[in-house]
Amino acid sequence: MSNPRPPPDPARRPFPVTPRVSVAASLLVAGLAAWLALDAPLARLVPESGGLAVAREFFAAALRPALDYEAPVPAGTPHILAQALAAARRTVVFATAAMSVALVLGIALGFLSTSAWWSGELSGGAGPLRRLCARTLGPTVWAAARLVIVVMRSVHELLWAVLFLAAFGLNTAGAVAAIAIPYGGTLAKIFSEMVEEAPRDAAWALRGAGATPLQVFVFGLVPRAAPDMAAYSFYRFECAVRSAAVLGFFGFPTLGYAIAQAFENLHYREVWTYLYALVALVLAIEAWSGALRRRFVA
Amino acid sequence: MAFAGRPALAALDLVVEPGEALALVGPSGAGKTTLLRLLNASLAPTSGTVCVDGQRLDELGPRALRAVRARIGFVHQDLALVPNVRVLVNVLSGRLGRQGFLAGVRSLCLPSRAEVARAAAILERVGIGEKLYQRTDSLSGGQRQRVALARALYQGPAALLLDEPVSSVDPARARDLVELVAAISRERGLTLIVSIHDIQLARACFPRLVGLRAGRIAFDAPTGRVTERELAALYSLEGLERVEPAPSA
Repeated sequence: MSNPRPPPDPARRPFPVTPRVSVAASLLVAGLAAWLALDAPLARLVPESGGLAVAREFFAAALRPALDYEAPVPAGTPHILAQALAAARRTVVFATAAMSVALVLGIALGFLSTSAWWSGELSGGAGPLRRLCARTLGPTVWAAARLVIVVMRSVHELLWAVLFLAAFGLNTAGAVAAIAIPYGGTLAKIFSEMVEEAPRDAAWALRGAGATPLQVFVFGLVPRAAPDMAAYSFYRFECAVRSAAVLGFFGFPTLGYAIAQAFENLHYREVWTYLYALVALVLAIEAWSGALRRRFVA
Repeated sequence: MAFAGRPALAALDLVVEPGEALALVGPSGAGKTTLLRLLNASLAPTSGTVCVDGQRLDELGPRALRAVRARIGFVHQDLALVPNVRVLVNVLSGRLGRQGFLAGVRSLCLPSRAEVARAAAILERVGIGEKLYQRTDSLSGGQRQRVALARALYQGPAALLLDEPVSSVDPARARDLVELVAAISRERGLTLIVSIHDIQLARACFPRLVGLRAGRIAFDAPTGRVTERELAALYSLEGLERVEPAPSA
Protein backbone atom coordinates (compact mmCIF):
# COMPACT_ATOMS: atom_id res chain seq x y z
CA MET A 1 0.00 0.00 0.00
CA SER A 2 2.52 2.60 1.10
CA ASN A 3 6.23 2.75 0.70
CA PRO A 4 8.19 1.50 3.69
CA ARG A 5 8.80 4.56 5.78
CA PRO A 6 12.16 5.18 7.42
CA PRO A 7 12.07 4.59 11.19
CA PRO A 8 11.13 7.84 12.93
CA ASP A 9 13.87 9.84 14.54
CA PRO A 10 13.66 8.86 18.26
CA ALA A 11 14.35 12.45 19.31
CA ARG A 12 11.36 13.71 17.34
CA ARG A 13 8.96 10.88 18.06
CA PRO A 14 5.66 12.16 19.47
CA PHE A 15 4.37 10.81 22.79
CA PRO A 16 3.56 7.15 22.01
CA VAL A 17 -0.14 6.36 22.41
CA THR A 18 0.18 2.65 23.13
CA PRO A 19 -2.89 0.61 24.09
CA ARG A 20 -1.67 0.69 27.68
CA VAL A 21 -1.57 4.48 27.71
CA SER A 22 -5.02 4.81 26.19
CA VAL A 23 -6.54 2.35 28.70
CA ALA A 24 -4.98 4.23 31.62
CA ALA A 25 -6.18 7.56 30.20
CA SER A 26 -9.75 6.34 29.70
CA LEU A 27 -9.87 4.95 33.24
CA LEU A 28 -8.78 8.34 34.53
CA VAL A 29 -11.41 10.13 32.44
CA ALA A 30 -14.12 7.68 33.57
CA GLY A 31 -13.20 8.26 37.23
CA LEU A 32 -13.36 12.04 36.87
CA ALA A 33 -16.61 11.87 34.90
CA ALA A 34 -18.21 9.74 37.64
CA TRP A 35 -17.26 12.27 40.33
CA LEU A 36 -18.65 15.14 38.26
CA ALA A 37 -21.85 13.20 37.48
CA LEU A 38 -22.46 12.49 41.15
CA ASP A 39 -21.87 16.10 42.07
CA ALA A 40 -20.16 14.93 45.25
CA PRO A 41 -17.56 17.44 46.32
CA LEU A 42 -15.29 16.16 49.07
CA ALA A 43 -16.22 19.19 51.17
CA ARG A 44 -19.52 17.47 52.03
CA LEU A 45 -17.57 14.88 53.99
CA VAL A 46 -16.96 17.53 56.63
CA PRO A 47 -20.06 17.20 58.85
CA GLU A 48 -22.10 20.08 60.14
CA SER A 49 -21.91 20.98 63.81
CA GLY A 50 -24.59 18.51 65.01
CA GLY A 51 -23.14 15.65 63.02
CA LEU A 52 -19.67 16.61 64.11
CA ALA A 53 -20.64 16.16 67.75
CA VAL A 54 -22.10 12.72 67.06
CA ALA A 55 -19.08 11.71 65.06
CA ARG A 56 -16.77 12.93 67.79
CA GLU A 57 -18.73 11.00 70.40
CA PHE A 58 -18.75 7.85 68.25
CA PHE A 59 -15.04 7.87 67.51
CA ALA A 60 -14.14 8.84 71.08
CA ALA A 61 -15.98 5.70 72.15
CA ALA A 62 -13.51 3.69 70.06
CA LEU A 63 -10.88 4.36 72.72
CA ARG A 64 -13.18 3.17 75.51
CA PRO A 65 -15.11 0.13 74.30
CA ALA A 66 -17.73 -0.97 76.81
CA LEU A 67 -16.66 -3.65 79.26
CA ASP A 68 -20.13 -3.62 80.76
CA TYR A 69 -23.58 -2.62 79.51
CA GLU A 70 -24.14 1.12 79.31
CA ALA A 71 -27.70 0.83 80.61
CA PRO A 72 -29.35 -1.50 83.12
CA VAL A 73 -30.23 -4.86 81.59
CA PRO A 74 -32.73 -7.49 82.75
CA ALA A 75 -31.43 -9.86 85.37
CA GLY A 76 -29.84 -12.98 83.95
CA THR A 77 -28.42 -11.27 80.85
CA PRO A 78 -24.89 -12.62 80.27
CA HIS A 79 -21.94 -10.26 80.59
CA ILE A 80 -21.31 -8.10 77.52
CA LEU A 81 -18.03 -9.88 76.74
CA ALA A 82 -19.74 -13.27 76.94
CA GLN A 83 -22.47 -11.82 74.72
CA ALA A 84 -19.86 -10.65 72.17
CA LEU A 85 -18.12 -14.00 72.25
CA ALA A 86 -21.38 -15.89 71.71
CA ALA A 87 -22.34 -13.58 68.84
CA ALA A 88 -18.90 -14.06 67.28
CA ARG A 89 -19.29 -17.81 67.59
CA ARG A 90 -22.71 -17.70 65.90
CA THR A 91 -21.24 -15.49 63.16
CA VAL A 92 -18.58 -18.11 62.46
CA VAL A 93 -21.18 -20.90 62.51
CA PHE A 94 -23.32 -19.06 59.93
CA ALA A 95 -20.27 -18.38 57.76
CA THR A 96 -19.05 -21.98 58.01
CA ALA A 97 -22.42 -23.45 57.10
CA ALA A 98 -22.72 -21.05 54.16
CA MET A 99 -19.18 -21.71 52.93
CA SER A 100 -19.62 -25.48 53.07
CA VAL A 101 -22.60 -25.20 50.74
CA ALA A 102 -20.85 -22.57 48.61
CA LEU A 103 -17.80 -24.80 48.15
CA VAL A 104 -19.91 -27.70 46.90
CA LEU A 105 -21.75 -25.35 44.52
CA GLY A 106 -18.51 -23.69 43.47
CA ILE A 107 -16.72 -26.93 42.69
CA ALA A 108 -19.66 -28.45 40.82
CA LEU A 109 -20.52 -25.34 38.79
CA GLY A 110 -16.86 -24.46 38.39
CA PHE A 111 -16.26 -27.84 36.78
CA LEU A 112 -19.26 -27.46 34.47
CA SER A 113 -18.20 -23.98 33.41
CA THR A 114 -14.66 -25.04 32.48
CA SER A 115 -14.03 -25.77 28.84
CA ALA A 116 -10.88 -27.79 29.51
CA TRP A 117 -12.55 -31.20 29.87
CA TRP A 118 -14.52 -31.10 26.63
CA SER A 119 -12.78 -28.62 24.33
CA GLY A 120 -10.80 -31.40 22.67
CA GLU A 121 -7.49 -29.80 23.49
CA LEU A 122 -6.93 -32.31 26.26
CA SER A 123 -8.83 -35.22 24.78
CA GLY A 124 -7.37 -35.96 21.38
CA GLY A 125 -8.90 -38.74 19.35
CA ALA A 126 -11.96 -38.12 17.27
CA GLY A 127 -14.73 -40.60 17.98
CA PRO A 128 -18.36 -39.64 17.34
CA LEU A 129 -19.01 -39.33 21.10
CA ARG A 130 -16.03 -37.03 21.49
CA ARG A 131 -17.23 -34.87 18.61
CA LEU A 132 -20.69 -34.66 20.14
CA CYS A 133 -19.10 -33.62 23.43
CA ALA A 134 -16.82 -31.03 21.87
CA ARG A 135 -19.35 -29.49 19.47
CA THR A 136 -22.72 -29.70 21.18
CA LEU A 137 -22.88 -31.12 24.67
CA GLY A 138 -19.85 -29.33 26.12
CA PRO A 139 -20.69 -25.83 24.90
CA THR A 140 -24.35 -26.22 25.95
CA VAL A 141 -23.49 -27.32 29.48
CA TRP A 142 -20.80 -24.65 29.66
CA ALA A 143 -23.17 -21.86 28.60
CA ALA A 144 -25.92 -23.03 30.96
CA ALA A 145 -23.50 -23.21 33.90
CA ARG A 146 -22.14 -19.75 33.09
CA LEU A 147 -25.67 -18.34 33.02
CA VAL A 148 -26.54 -19.89 36.39
CA ILE A 149 -23.31 -18.53 37.86
CA VAL A 150 -24.01 -15.01 36.59
CA VAL A 151 -27.50 -15.05 38.11
CA MET A 152 -26.13 -16.31 41.44
CA ARG A 153 -23.39 -13.69 41.54
CA SER A 154 -25.22 -10.66 40.25
CA VAL A 155 -27.57 -10.59 43.23
CA HIS A 156 -25.78 -9.49 46.39
CA GLU A 157 -26.10 -11.60 49.54
CA LEU A 158 -28.08 -8.82 51.26
CA LEU A 159 -30.65 -8.86 48.44
CA TRP A 160 -30.88 -12.65 48.62
CA ALA A 161 -31.39 -12.23 52.38
CA VAL A 162 -34.23 -9.73 51.80
CA LEU A 163 -35.81 -12.15 49.33
CA PHE A 164 -35.59 -15.14 51.65
CA LEU A 165 -36.72 -13.05 54.60
CA ALA A 166 -39.84 -12.11 52.64
CA ALA A 167 -40.42 -15.69 51.56
CA PHE A 168 -39.56 -17.70 54.66
CA GLY A 169 -39.40 -15.20 57.51
CA LEU A 170 -36.49 -15.09 59.93
CA ASN A 171 -35.18 -18.50 58.94
CA THR A 172 -31.66 -19.70 59.66
CA ALA A 173 -31.54 -21.81 56.50
CA GLY A 174 -32.58 -18.73 54.53
CA ALA A 175 -29.67 -16.75 55.93
CA VAL A 176 -27.23 -19.55 55.08
CA ALA A 177 -28.63 -19.81 51.56
CA ALA A 178 -28.44 -16.03 51.13
CA ILE A 179 -24.68 -16.19 51.62
CA ALA A 180 -24.12 -19.58 49.97
CA ILE A 181 -25.72 -18.67 46.63
CA PRO A 182 -23.67 -15.61 45.63
CA TYR A 183 -20.55 -17.08 47.20
CA GLY A 184 -21.04 -20.37 45.35
CA GLY A 185 -21.32 -18.43 42.10
CA THR A 186 -18.19 -16.39 42.81
CA LEU A 187 -16.22 -19.49 43.78
CA ALA A 188 -17.39 -21.28 40.62
CA LYS A 189 -16.28 -18.39 38.41
CA ILE A 190 -12.88 -18.03 40.07
CA PHE A 191 -12.27 -21.81 40.31
CA SER A 192 -12.99 -22.31 36.63
CA GLU A 193 -10.70 -19.42 35.68
CA MET A 194 -7.91 -20.79 37.87
CA VAL A 195 -8.20 -24.23 36.29
CA GLU A 196 -8.32 -22.79 32.76
CA GLU A 197 -5.20 -20.74 33.43
CA ALA A 198 -3.25 -23.49 35.19
CA PRO A 199 -0.11 -24.67 33.35
CA ARG A 200 -1.08 -27.48 30.99
CA ASP A 201 2.22 -29.30 30.56
CA ALA A 202 1.41 -32.08 33.04
CA ALA A 203 -2.07 -32.42 31.55
CA TRP A 204 -0.64 -32.92 28.07
CA ALA A 205 1.83 -35.46 29.45
CA LEU A 206 -0.99 -37.48 31.03
CA ARG A 207 -2.92 -37.27 27.79
CA GLY A 208 0.12 -38.57 25.99
CA ALA A 209 0.20 -41.50 28.39
CA GLY A 210 -3.32 -42.52 27.45
CA ALA A 211 -5.36 -40.89 30.22
CA THR A 212 -9.01 -39.97 29.54
CA PRO A 213 -10.02 -36.31 29.37
CA LEU A 214 -11.62 -36.54 32.81
CA GLN A 215 -8.47 -38.07 34.31
CA VAL A 216 -6.36 -35.43 32.61
CA PHE A 217 -8.59 -32.74 34.07
CA VAL A 218 -8.65 -34.10 37.60
CA PHE A 219 -5.01 -35.19 37.90
CA GLY A 220 -3.22 -32.91 35.44
CA LEU A 221 -5.00 -29.58 35.79
CA VAL A 222 -6.78 -29.39 39.14
CA PRO A 223 -3.65 -30.06 41.26
CA ARG A 224 -1.91 -27.15 39.54
CA ALA A 225 -4.76 -24.82 40.48
CA ALA A 226 -5.44 -26.32 43.93
CA PRO A 227 -3.17 -24.05 46.02
CA ASP A 228 -4.73 -20.93 44.51
CA MET A 229 -8.20 -22.38 44.91
CA ALA A 230 -7.54 -23.11 48.58
CA ALA A 231 -6.11 -19.65 49.22
CA TYR A 232 -9.06 -18.01 47.51
CA SER A 233 -11.51 -20.14 49.51
CA PHE A 234 -9.93 -18.94 52.74
CA TYR A 235 -10.29 -15.36 51.59
CA ARG A 236 -13.95 -15.98 50.77
CA PHE A 237 -14.46 -17.53 54.20
CA GLU A 238 -13.23 -14.30 55.70
CA CYS A 239 -15.71 -12.43 53.50
CA ALA A 240 -18.45 -14.85 54.57
CA VAL A 241 -17.77 -14.00 58.21
CA ARG A 242 -18.25 -10.30 57.42
CA SER A 243 -21.41 -11.05 55.43
CA ALA A 244 -22.79 -13.20 58.23
CA ALA A 245 -22.12 -10.36 60.65
CA VAL A 246 -23.96 -7.88 58.41
CA LEU A 247 -26.94 -10.23 58.09
CA GLY A 248 -27.39 -9.57 61.80
CA PHE A 249 -28.92 -6.22 60.78
CA PHE A 250 -31.91 -8.22 59.51
CA GLY A 251 -32.31 -9.88 62.90
CA PHE A 252 -30.17 -13.01 62.58
CA PRO A 253 -28.33 -13.49 65.89
CA THR A 254 -24.81 -12.68 64.64
CA LEU A 255 -22.50 -9.83 65.61
CA GLY A 256 -24.41 -7.48 63.32
CA TYR A 257 -27.55 -7.91 65.41
CA ALA A 258 -25.69 -6.87 68.56
CA ILE A 259 -24.13 -3.93 66.73
CA ALA A 260 -27.48 -2.78 65.35
CA GLN A 261 -29.12 -2.95 68.77
CA ALA A 262 -26.35 -1.06 70.49
CA PHE A 263 -26.41 1.52 67.73
CA GLU A 264 -30.15 2.06 68.02
CA ASN A 265 -29.73 2.69 71.73
CA LEU A 266 -26.87 5.11 70.97
CA HIS A 267 -24.60 2.92 73.09
CA TYR A 268 -21.53 3.71 70.99
CA ARG A 269 -19.10 2.10 73.42
CA GLU A 270 -21.01 -1.19 73.13
CA VAL A 271 -20.94 -0.84 69.34
CA TRP A 272 -17.18 -0.66 69.53
CA THR A 273 -16.97 -3.71 71.76
CA TYR A 274 -18.77 -5.74 69.10
CA LEU A 275 -16.81 -4.14 66.25
CA TYR A 276 -13.56 -5.07 67.96
CA ALA A 277 -14.86 -8.62 68.33
CA LEU A 278 -15.47 -8.69 64.57
CA VAL A 279 -11.99 -7.34 63.83
CA ALA A 280 -10.43 -9.90 66.18
CA LEU A 281 -12.40 -12.64 64.45
CA VAL A 282 -11.20 -11.62 60.98
CA LEU A 283 -7.62 -11.32 62.22
CA ALA A 284 -7.81 -14.78 63.80
CA ILE A 285 -9.06 -16.29 60.53
CA GLU A 286 -6.31 -14.56 58.61
CA ALA A 287 -3.66 -15.86 61.00
CA TRP A 288 -5.10 -19.37 60.75
CA SER A 289 -5.31 -19.39 56.95
CA GLY A 290 -1.83 -17.87 56.69
CA ALA A 291 -0.42 -20.62 58.89
CA LEU A 292 -2.13 -23.29 56.77
CA ARG A 293 -0.86 -21.70 53.57
CA ARG A 294 2.72 -21.62 54.84
CA ARG A 295 2.38 -25.24 55.82
CA PHE A 296 0.99 -26.49 52.50
CA VAL A 297 1.73 -24.05 49.70
CA ALA A 298 5.19 -22.59 50.30
CA MET B 1 3.23 -32.41 8.78
CA ALA B 2 2.56 -28.69 8.80
CA PHE B 3 1.82 -26.02 11.38
CA ALA B 4 -0.22 -23.08 10.07
CA GLY B 5 0.69 -24.02 6.52
CA ARG B 6 4.41 -24.13 7.17
CA PRO B 7 5.70 -27.64 6.78
CA ALA B 8 7.50 -28.83 9.93
CA LEU B 9 8.26 -32.27 8.55
CA ALA B 10 8.09 -33.39 4.94
CA ALA B 11 8.84 -36.44 2.83
CA LEU B 12 9.64 -38.37 5.94
CA ASP B 13 9.91 -42.14 5.95
CA LEU B 14 11.12 -43.78 9.11
CA VAL B 15 10.84 -47.38 10.30
CA VAL B 16 11.77 -48.31 13.86
CA GLU B 17 11.89 -51.97 14.84
CA PRO B 18 10.80 -53.18 18.29
CA GLY B 19 13.64 -53.09 20.80
CA GLU B 20 15.74 -50.77 18.67
CA ALA B 21 17.56 -47.75 20.14
CA LEU B 22 18.07 -44.68 18.02
CA ALA B 23 18.95 -41.04 18.45
CA LEU B 24 17.33 -38.22 16.51
CA VAL B 25 19.95 -35.56 15.93
CA GLY B 26 19.79 -32.21 14.23
CA PRO B 27 19.74 -28.48 14.89
CA SER B 28 16.98 -26.70 16.79
CA GLY B 29 13.83 -26.39 14.74
CA ALA B 30 14.68 -29.40 12.60
CA GLY B 31 11.44 -31.10 13.66
CA LYS B 32 12.71 -33.56 16.25
CA THR B 33 10.01 -32.81 18.82
CA THR B 34 7.30 -32.81 16.16
CA LEU B 35 8.43 -36.22 14.99
CA LEU B 36 8.37 -37.61 18.54
CA ARG B 37 4.89 -36.20 19.12
CA LEU B 38 3.70 -37.85 15.90
CA LEU B 39 5.12 -41.14 17.10
CA ASN B 40 3.21 -41.16 20.39
CA ALA B 41 -0.03 -40.01 18.76
CA SER B 42 -0.04 -36.63 20.47
CA LEU B 43 -0.21 -35.04 17.04
CA ALA B 44 -1.97 -36.27 13.94
CA PRO B 45 -0.08 -35.77 10.68
CA THR B 46 -1.62 -33.33 8.18
CA SER B 47 -0.72 -35.84 5.49
CA GLY B 48 0.76 -39.30 5.55
CA THR B 49 0.29 -42.01 8.15
CA VAL B 50 1.85 -43.16 11.39
CA CYS B 51 1.73 -46.85 12.28
CA VAL B 52 2.41 -48.25 15.74
CA ASP B 53 2.58 -52.03 16.10
CA GLY B 54 1.12 -52.33 12.61
CA GLN B 55 -1.94 -50.22 13.50
CA ARG B 56 -2.59 -47.06 11.52
CA LEU B 57 -3.18 -44.37 14.15
CA ASP B 58 -5.63 -42.42 11.99
CA GLU B 59 -7.94 -45.42 11.89
CA LEU B 60 -8.14 -45.84 15.65
CA GLY B 61 -11.00 -44.68 17.83
CA PRO B 62 -10.30 -42.73 21.04
CA ARG B 63 -10.18 -45.84 23.21
CA ALA B 64 -7.74 -47.70 20.95
CA LEU B 65 -5.68 -44.53 20.59
CA ARG B 66 -5.42 -44.22 24.36
CA ALA B 67 -4.34 -47.85 24.54
CA VAL B 68 -1.54 -47.11 22.06
CA ARG B 69 -0.49 -44.02 24.02
CA ALA B 70 -0.48 -46.01 27.24
CA ARG B 71 2.15 -48.30 25.73
CA ILE B 72 4.47 -45.42 24.83
CA GLY B 73 6.36 -43.65 27.61
CA PHE B 74 7.28 -40.04 26.86
CA VAL B 75 9.73 -37.91 28.82
CA HIS B 76 9.06 -34.30 27.85
CA GLN B 77 11.73 -31.67 27.51
CA ASP B 78 10.04 -29.54 30.18
CA LEU B 79 9.34 -32.74 32.23
CA ALA B 80 5.63 -31.85 32.61
CA LEU B 81 5.36 -33.02 36.22
CA VAL B 82 2.82 -31.79 38.75
CA PRO B 83 5.12 -29.81 41.07
CA ASN B 84 3.01 -29.56 44.21
CA VAL B 85 2.46 -33.26 44.92
CA ARG B 86 4.71 -36.02 46.16
CA VAL B 87 7.09 -37.81 43.81
CA LEU B 88 5.07 -40.99 44.39
CA VAL B 89 1.90 -39.39 42.99
CA ASN B 90 3.68 -38.24 39.85
CA VAL B 91 5.07 -41.71 39.28
CA LEU B 92 1.71 -43.40 39.95
CA SER B 93 -0.02 -41.05 37.50
CA GLY B 94 1.91 -42.75 34.70
CA ARG B 95 -0.52 -45.63 34.82
CA LEU B 96 -3.75 -43.61 34.59
CA GLY B 97 -4.01 -44.53 30.92
CA ARG B 98 -4.50 -48.15 31.86
CA GLN B 99 -7.07 -47.49 34.57
CA GLY B 100 -10.66 -46.39 34.73
CA PHE B 101 -11.45 -43.08 36.41
CA LEU B 102 -12.31 -44.45 39.84
CA ALA B 103 -9.45 -46.94 39.81
CA GLY B 104 -7.16 -44.00 39.01
CA VAL B 105 -8.54 -41.94 41.90
CA ARG B 106 -8.07 -44.91 44.22
CA SER B 107 -4.50 -45.62 43.20
CA LEU B 108 -3.40 -41.98 43.37
CA CYS B 109 -5.10 -41.24 46.67
CA LEU B 110 -4.75 -44.62 48.39
CA PRO B 111 -2.07 -46.58 46.54
CA SER B 112 -1.86 -50.24 47.42
CA ARG B 113 1.29 -51.67 48.96
CA ALA B 114 2.14 -53.39 45.68
CA GLU B 115 1.80 -50.13 43.73
CA VAL B 116 4.02 -48.24 46.16
CA ALA B 117 6.59 -51.04 46.03
CA ARG B 118 6.60 -50.99 42.24
CA ALA B 119 6.98 -47.21 42.10
CA ALA B 120 9.73 -47.37 44.73
CA ALA B 121 11.60 -50.04 42.78
CA ILE B 122 11.54 -47.92 39.63
CA LEU B 123 12.69 -44.82 41.50
CA GLU B 124 15.47 -46.94 42.99
CA ARG B 125 16.45 -48.06 39.50
CA VAL B 126 16.68 -44.48 38.22
CA GLY B 127 18.75 -43.56 41.27
CA ILE B 128 16.39 -41.52 43.47
CA GLY B 129 14.73 -44.21 45.59
CA GLU B 130 14.92 -42.07 48.71
CA LYS B 131 12.77 -39.30 47.20
CA LEU B 132 9.55 -41.33 47.10
CA TYR B 133 7.64 -39.22 49.61
CA GLN B 134 9.19 -35.83 48.90
CA ARG B 135 7.34 -33.05 47.21
CA THR B 136 8.31 -32.95 43.56
CA ASP B 137 9.13 -29.24 43.53
CA SER B 138 11.67 -29.73 46.32
CA LEU B 139 13.89 -31.77 43.98
CA SER B 140 16.71 -30.50 41.76
CA GLY B 141 16.32 -30.34 37.99
CA GLY B 142 18.26 -33.56 37.47
CA GLN B 143 16.21 -35.38 40.10
CA ARG B 144 12.95 -34.14 38.62
CA GLN B 145 14.06 -35.44 35.26
CA ARG B 146 14.46 -38.86 36.84
CA VAL B 147 10.96 -38.59 38.28
CA ALA B 148 9.66 -37.94 34.77
CA LEU B 149 11.60 -40.98 33.56
CA ALA B 150 10.22 -43.07 36.43
CA ARG B 151 6.68 -41.97 35.54
CA ALA B 152 7.22 -43.10 31.95
CA LEU B 153 8.64 -46.44 33.11
CA TYR B 154 5.85 -47.01 35.64
CA GLN B 155 3.50 -46.74 32.70
CA GLY B 156 4.78 -50.17 31.66
CA PRO B 157 5.62 -49.02 28.13
CA ALA B 158 6.85 -51.00 25.15
CA ALA B 159 8.61 -47.92 23.80
CA LEU B 160 10.26 -44.96 25.45
CA LEU B 161 10.57 -41.55 23.80
CA LEU B 162 12.76 -38.83 25.30
CA ASP B 163 12.69 -35.28 24.02
CA GLU B 164 16.01 -33.46 24.52
CA PRO B 165 16.77 -35.08 27.88
CA VAL B 166 20.12 -33.30 28.15
CA SER B 167 19.01 -29.72 27.65
CA SER B 168 18.12 -29.18 31.31
CA VAL B 169 21.17 -30.67 33.06
CA ASP B 170 24.95 -30.29 32.95
CA PRO B 171 26.97 -32.45 30.53
CA ALA B 172 28.21 -35.02 33.08
CA ARG B 173 24.69 -35.65 34.37
CA ALA B 174 23.35 -35.71 30.85
CA ARG B 175 25.69 -38.52 29.96
CA ASP B 176 24.74 -40.45 33.13
CA LEU B 177 21.09 -40.09 32.32
CA VAL B 178 21.33 -41.12 28.67
CA GLU B 179 23.43 -44.14 29.61
CA LEU B 180 20.91 -45.04 32.31
CA VAL B 181 18.01 -44.82 29.88
CA ALA B 182 19.86 -46.90 27.30
CA ALA B 183 20.69 -49.55 29.92
CA ILE B 184 17.11 -49.73 31.22
CA SER B 185 15.76 -50.01 27.68
CA ARG B 186 18.13 -52.90 26.95
CA GLU B 187 17.15 -54.66 30.22
CA ARG B 188 13.47 -54.38 29.46
CA GLY B 189 13.63 -54.74 25.71
CA LEU B 190 12.09 -51.31 25.17
CA THR B 191 12.21 -49.47 21.88
CA LEU B 192 14.09 -46.26 22.60
CA ILE B 193 14.01 -43.03 20.61
CA VAL B 194 15.85 -40.03 22.02
CA SER B 195 16.12 -36.60 20.44
CA ILE B 196 19.36 -35.01 21.34
CA HIS B 197 21.57 -32.30 19.93
CA ASP B 198 24.79 -33.41 21.59
CA ILE B 199 26.26 -35.40 18.72
CA GLN B 200 29.11 -36.95 20.75
CA LEU B 201 26.67 -38.32 23.30
CA ALA B 202 24.41 -39.65 20.57
CA ARG B 203 27.31 -41.47 18.95
CA ALA B 204 28.52 -42.92 22.24
CA CYS B 205 25.17 -44.31 23.37
CA PHE B 206 23.11 -45.22 20.30
CA PRO B 207 23.67 -47.78 17.56
CA ARG B 208 21.55 -45.86 15.03
CA LEU B 209 21.47 -42.17 14.21
CA VAL B 210 18.75 -40.33 12.32
CA GLY B 211 19.75 -36.84 11.22
CA LEU B 212 16.92 -34.34 10.79
CA ARG B 213 17.41 -31.04 9.07
CA ALA B 214 14.67 -28.57 8.15
CA GLY B 215 12.01 -31.25 8.51
CA ARG B 216 13.70 -33.83 6.29
CA ILE B 217 15.79 -36.86 7.04
CA ALA B 218 19.39 -35.99 6.14
CA PHE B 219 20.75 -39.42 6.99
CA ASP B 220 19.59 -42.59 8.72
CA ALA B 221 22.35 -45.10 9.34
CA PRO B 222 24.18 -47.21 11.91
CA THR B 223 26.30 -44.90 14.02
CA GLY B 224 29.60 -46.21 12.67
CA ARG B 225 28.65 -45.35 9.12
CA VAL B 226 27.65 -41.75 9.68
CA THR B 227 30.52 -39.65 8.33
CA GLU B 228 31.96 -36.45 9.73
CA ARG B 229 30.93 -34.69 6.54
CA GLU B 230 27.32 -35.68 7.01
CA LEU B 231 27.40 -34.40 10.58
CA ALA B 232 29.03 -31.14 9.58
CA ALA B 233 26.42 -30.64 6.86
CA LEU B 234 23.65 -31.39 9.35
CA TYR B 235 24.61 -28.52 11.60
CA SER B 236 25.88 -26.02 9.02
CA LEU B 237 23.84 -22.83 8.95
CA GLU B 238 24.02 -22.62 5.18
CA GLY B 239 20.77 -23.19 3.38
CA LEU B 240 18.69 -23.05 6.54
CA GLU B 241 15.92 -20.50 6.65
CA ARG B 242 17.30 -17.58 8.55
CA VAL B 243 15.14 -15.64 10.95
CA GLU B 244 15.14 -12.04 9.84
CA PRO B 245 14.65 -9.42 12.53
CA ALA B 246 11.15 -8.04 12.17
CA PRO B 247 11.17 -4.53 10.70
CA SER B 248 10.22 -2.06 13.39
CA ALA B 249 7.21 0.05 12.59
